[in-house]
Amino acid sequence: MEKLKKLFSPFSVVPLAGWLLGGFSAVLMEYYLGDLISYYLYLPKIPVLFGTLIMLKKPLLIPSALAYDLIVYIVPIFLVARLTAPLTNGLAALLERMPLWLATLIHLAAFYGVLSTWAGISDYRVLVVKLTMISVILTLSLNVINGYQGEFSCSHPGFMALGAYASSILTLLLFANDKMFGAPLLNPALGPYLFPLVLVFGGAVAALGSLIVAIPSFRTRGDYLAIISLAFLFIVKSAIENLEIFGGPRGMSSQPNYATLPVVFSWMALCIWVVHNFTTSVLGKALNAVRDNEPAANSMTVNTRKTKMTAFMFGAFWAGVAGGLFAHVLRYVNPGTFGLNKLAEILAMVYFGGLNSIYGSIVGALSISVLSEALRPLELFKWIIIPLILILVMIYRPHGLISFTELNVKGLIRPRNKARQEGGE
Amino acid sequence: MRKLIYLVLAACVLTLCFSANGWTLGRETVIKVGINAPLTGDIPKVGEGTKYAAEMWLEDVTKAGGIEVGGKKYPVELVIEDNESKAESAVTANTKMITQDDVMIIIGPQSSKQAIPAGDVANNYQTPMISPWSTNPDTTAGRPYVFRGCFLDPFQGPVLANFVTEEFGFTKAAVLYDVASDYPKGLAEFFKAAWEEKHGAGSVVAFESFTTKDTDFSSQLTKIIKSGAEVLFTPQYYNEVALIVNQAKDLGWKGPIVGSDSWGSAETVQLCGEACYGLFFSTHYAAAGAQGATKEFIDRYNAKYGYVPDDVGALTWDALRLAQTAIEGAGELTGDIKKDRTAVRDALAKIKDFEGITGKMTFTEEGDPIKCAVIVKISDKGEYEFYKSICP
Amino acid sequence: MDIILQNIINALQWGSFYAVVSIGYSMVYGVLMLFNFAHGDIFMVGTYIGFGIATLMLALFSAIMPGWMIFILVILVTMFLASFVGVFVEVVGYRPLRGAPRASAAITGLMIGIIFETGNLIILGAQRFSFPALIKSQSYNLGGIYVTNVKVLIIAASLIMMLSLHLFIKKTKWGMAMRAMSYDFLAVPLMGVSINVIAPLTFAIGAGLASVAGILYGQAYPVLDPYMGIQLGWKAFVAAILGGRGSIMGAALAGYLLGFIEMFVPLVFPSTFRDLIAYSIILVILTFRPRGFFGMEHSTQLRL
Repeated sequence: MEKLKKLFSPFSVVPLAGWLLGGFSAVLMEYYLGDLISYYLYLPKIPVLFGTLIMLKKPLLIPSALAYDLIVYIVPIFLVARLTAPLTNGLAALLERMPLWLATLIHLAAFYGVLSTWAGISDYRVLVVKLTMISVILTLSLNVINGYQGEFSCSHPGFMALGAYASSILTLLLFANDKMFGAPLLNPALGPYLFPLVLVFGGAVAALGSLIVAIPSFRTRGDYLAIISLAFLFIVKSAIENLEIFGGPRGMSSQPNYATLPVVFSWMALCIWVVHNFTTSVLGKALNAVRDNEPAANSMTVNTRKTKMTAFMFGAFWAGVAGGLFAHVLRYVNPGTFGLNKLAEILAMVYFGGLNSIYGSIVGALSISVLSEALRPLELFKWIIIPLILILVMIYRPHGLISFTELNVKGLIRPRNKARQEGGE
Repeated sequence: MRKLIYLVLAACVLTLCFSANGWTLGRETVIKVGINAPLTGDIPKVGEGTKYAAEMWLEDVTKAGGIEVGGKKYPVELVIEDNESKAESAVTANTKMITQDDVMIIIGPQSSKQAIPAGDVANNYQTPMISPWSTNPDTTAGRPYVFRGCFLDPFQGPVLANFVTEEFGFTKAAVLYDVASDYPKGLAEFFKAAWEEKHGAGSVVAFESFTTKDTDFSSQLTKIIKSGAEVLFTPQYYNEVALIVNQAKDLGWKGPIVGSDSWGSAETVQLCGEACYGLFFSTHYAAAGAQGATKEFIDRYNAKYGYVPDDVGALTWDALRLAQTAIEGAGELTGDIKKDRTAVRDALAKIKDFEGITGKMTFTEEGDPIKCAVIVKISDKGEYEFYKSICP
Repeated sequence: MDIILQNIINALQWGSFYAVVSIGYSMVYGVLMLFNFAHGDIFMVGTYIGFGIATLMLALFSAIMPGWMIFILVILVTMFLASFVGVFVEVVGYRPLRGAPRASAAITGLMIGIIFETGNLIILGAQRFSFPALIKSQSYNLGGIYVTNVKVLIIAASLIMMLSLHLFIKKTKWGMAMRAMSYDFLAVPLMGVSINVIAPLTFAIGAGLASVAGILYGQAYPVLDPYMGIQLGWKAFVAAILGGRGSIMGAALAGYLLGFIEMFVPLVFPSTFRDLIAYSIILVILTFRPRGFFGMEHSTQLRL
């Protein structure tokens, strides 16, 4: 551990901007030279997820895949990040003097640049990135309820289904020429611009649906939310199966392709920002107080019922938005998708990453989605390995990997060349 | 810092060693065939059948030295992806196989709930796809690159309605189906429509449903028995068939029970026991009493994996053979995968009177085969006997 | 009229499974305040153990023993073996997490369940098995109502099990310790009753009951598959909470209630709406009785 720290000590002066630059150079290199390098290394193609799929399928190619990772990702990232550190620190100092929102936006834009270049190599990457970002939104929204609010809600797939169906119905009705609703009501060219409104509508439907759970379950404190939300999940699924006009169990297909990478990315960024603001607001703090001690919070003039309801609807709203994005990424929804399997998946992401933490949710969603994609060649054994990892994490870090932390954007993007009293990361 | 530089240098030297003869080696053209199968999830048996049939096919092709296209033999590789029986995984698996593995053609997914979204992906990337088992019309509708290997629900429903009417002369039927699964639900509705067209509105006296994974049907069956129906139609999968038939007998049901192609698994009889003897169902092929290539396939499969293949295995086999015929008929491989895929697609659409083990096939414009259905009777020994064949 | 009577019998049979399985949830919930989400899969494993034992016993003893003796033997051996599965789950999944957030323990349970399902699939393959009939099913026609001997057996055996469990909890020392534990989780260990004995015991009893339910289930619905525990488990979980925290009687009653709702809804309404209406009824019940049927008066405090 000590040695590892020493090895990485030269990099403690690299600010976030430096890492982004390193990443950018790596993906640029992959973009221009990736094919050539993989050709040299006998790889059939550019490895798609850092070579994990190839390694598991053809163990003979493990050295090649590792070498590829080393040449294309690790070396350029670290080298560029370290070498340009003086430059990027200057940049970071410049950015620090700007308003925080501007600096954050610039960082986000840079990050998006890296991401889209990386994903641009193959459409499979784009799809994985999109689904992962949707998982991030879902995990964050459930973290609001199960983490910040401290309840155990099981209805998230139901909210997702509501959002997915509501937004699909709207886009199919308004912008698409399909069998179900016939000719579009509006000009399809307007579609991409009105898509955010459609998603908000989906979220709003989910939030309204959440009232069915919230009203009976927040009358008292206890575990009844768990079963009321579970009952809600069964109800939603059964209701959609019976709605013949929306395809019933056959589902709805051919939604227009509005959920492109930038759209999903900006919704994820927006979700992180809004959830961060929500949880650090007075309401969010009141929510934590309600979780830790409801009578005490009540005596401090917190309207506990209203607080809980608001937070619950807030979580449901984002689940609905995620559902809408999900439907437009797959361009197909059916009620079977939103069952108990999905529930187990989202719960795993939340508790793996860590409660009460935005970093945690991002890490949880990212690791579970990428892991389940990367371990796909293992077939059945994948479902032994992922649960085992989760159990181990739960045993050694019962609150999840990164729990009870606040998102600190300022600390994240600050320059690293001057000593700070709080110590480097 | 210095250590690090050494490390980097060492890594660079290492990779240079690797690349010493990289220039001289060309990448061989390999024909890759993608298999999108539910190896895990709700219906692992379907995935297993798909995989086994594909492996048997690969064995054959490898023995022949590959597929011959334009006078040149190309080696064949299978890319088997697990779709976990989930729609989104089927989409990612298809995307991966098309953009990453450069497959020539995709076989699968089997169930319609995965084949519909996955077919969209295949069509968008202009990659031919054959779903061996998906009977939902939406899978191929409006998608020139998507084909299927089986007949459709709108065909099977009337076939069964006609068969029951002619065979038994009944006028009142009951239907029990899974409302949450698109295949049984679709077929149940087509059967109902066909039956009511024949015998007038209200002749389907009970139209009852349950939800996937239910095991107790006594409430619905009680209702069906009291409704005075003469025949029970249940287009369910083999595991549910065993339960439905046994519970119906326990509750006093005396009439015949009729099923659809989803019954056609070796496990139906094994799970159901004697209660299923003497029942009828429609399917793609009959294992018992099969002849020629069908028998050969069944025997080989049975010898290799220890059980008689069900319809999924047989249909997957046919789909793979179709794919092979199409690739062989594509003229020549240019090496440009996009052009080759379109050539394969065109060859596939042109195939006429293909002799499959599940019957003769010619594709319609939508990519659906025109095929005959087979009515099978479960004999007193528990074997699937050919009873009659009904052609469109 | 006979349609109603017929459905009462159907519902009693179906509710018995919910009742017996939900008792397992309810006991763990009562003693440790945990949701044991692995319980549905413990039921599955118990059924498979029962399947193995039954096949073995039938092969060994069917010549020398009458059927009912084999049946009882199978039940006893399976109960014994399955209780170790329960203990295993407790020791591996829940003991390291004592004092951790309850939800984390719930996740471990969920994951152990997935490992059980997948492990089963890896070991036994995708083939489904048919549970051997230990009791030859016979259908009797009582004035238009069809009753099978298996049905009677299932209802009777479940009632006997629940009654003996009730006596165990009310009359024995161990039962008293368990009741004490559910009353005060912190003070009881100070009285010299170790949680490390009571908790495995609770899991063992739950798993034993679930395995018997599994054998009975195998008699009524003889198709085994690795995912058979999921739906039954989640629904039994609903019944357990509906019954009230830690109340065995409540869990059993709620199990039967759930069985009745699921059977009678298709009778009155179109059966496509069964889940929709059944769970709406539960939602309404909980709205008016938010603590379940036999829930304790004080509100349960979450330990997070």
